[in-house]
Amino acid sequence: MYGWIWRHLPGNTWVKALISLVLVLAVVYVLFQYVFPWAEPLLPFNDVTVNNQ
Amino acid sequence: MAATTDGTAEHTDDGTERRPRRGTGRLAQAVSVFGELLITAGLVLGLFVVYSLWWTNVMADRTADRQADKVREQWAHPAPSGPGALDTEDGIGFLHVPAMHNGEVLVKKGTSPDVLNDGVAGYYVDPVKATLPTSGKDGNFTLAAHRDGHGAKFHNIDKLSKGDPIVFETRDNWYVYKVFAVLPETSKYNVDVIAQVPKEAGVTKPGRYITLTTCTPVYTSRYRYVVWGELVRVEKVDSKRTPPKELR
Repeated sequence: MYGWIWRHLPGNTWVKALISLVLVLAVVYVLFQYVFPWAEPLLPFNDVTVNNQ
Repeated sequence: MAATTDGTAEHTDDGTERRPRRGTGRLAQAVSVFGELLITAGLVLGLFVVYSLWWTNVMADRTADRQADKVREQWAHPAPSGPGALDTEDGIGFLHVPAMHNGEVLVKKGTSPDVLNDGVAGYYVDPVKATLPTSGKDGNFTLAAHRDGHGAKFHNIDKLSKGDPIVFETRDNWYVYKVFAVLPETSKYNVDVIAQVPKEAGVTKPGRYITLTTCTPVYTSRYRYVVWGELVRVEKVDSKRTPPKELR
C-alpha cells in the first residue's frame, strides 16, 4: 500500500520524501481537526457528570 | 515483501507454468497490505491518545483563558446600565482549589460537553439544578469538570481531603468552602450525590454546600469521583481583590 503510493509519487527520492511528509501532515491535520473531535464523544472516556441516562 | 511480490507478478506474466506462485504472490501482497493497515491503525490510535491527553488541553486552555479574560474585563468595567451587570454568558466566576494546584477555573452554566470541553467547570442544570452561592439561599452548588483532556480542570481531585478549602470567586464575593466528605467511587447514575441536601455526604439539614464531580479512575469514565464542601464564610471583594487567607 505505502510502497504503491511511493512508486506513484513524482520526482526523485527527495521530492518524494517531501511530498510524503506533506501528505502525512495533511492526514494528521484531518484527524485532529475532524476525525478525532467526531469520534471522541462516541468513546467512553470523557463523561464526567452524573445523570439518569 | 513488496519487492518479492512485484518480482512474482512480473514473472507470472511470462508463462502459465508459474500460476501456483502467482497465488502465493497475491497472498503475500494481501498479507502485506493487511499488515500495513494494522500498522496504520496502531499509529492512528497512538495519535488519538496524543489528541485526547495533550491537544485537547492546549485548545481548551486557550479558550478558557480567553473567556476568563473577558469575564475579568467585564468585572473591571461593568456595562453602564441594564442587564449587563448580570451577564453570565462567559462565566459566573472562578473556582480556586489550592489542593489541586491548577490556579483558577472558570465556572460556566451547564455540564454539556460543549461547555466542559472549553476547559471550564460547569454547574449542573440537569438532572438537578445547582443552587448558585450568589442566590444566598440554602442549596447545593454542584459542579462538573474534566478529569483528563479538555483542560483536565479536576485532574487532581484526588488530592483533596477533608478540611481543604475550596474558594469560589465572583465579582463581589469570595465564597470559602471547606471539604467535609469525599466519595472516591460511585456509579454514574447516582444522581443523589448532587441533591440539594446530599444525604450521601452524611448531612441531613439544608445548608450551603458545594459538590465537585468528575470521572474516575483517571483516563476512563467508569465511575464518578465526588467531593463535598460546606460554606464557611463569605468575604466581600475589596478594591485590590485581595484573596482570602486560604489562597495566600
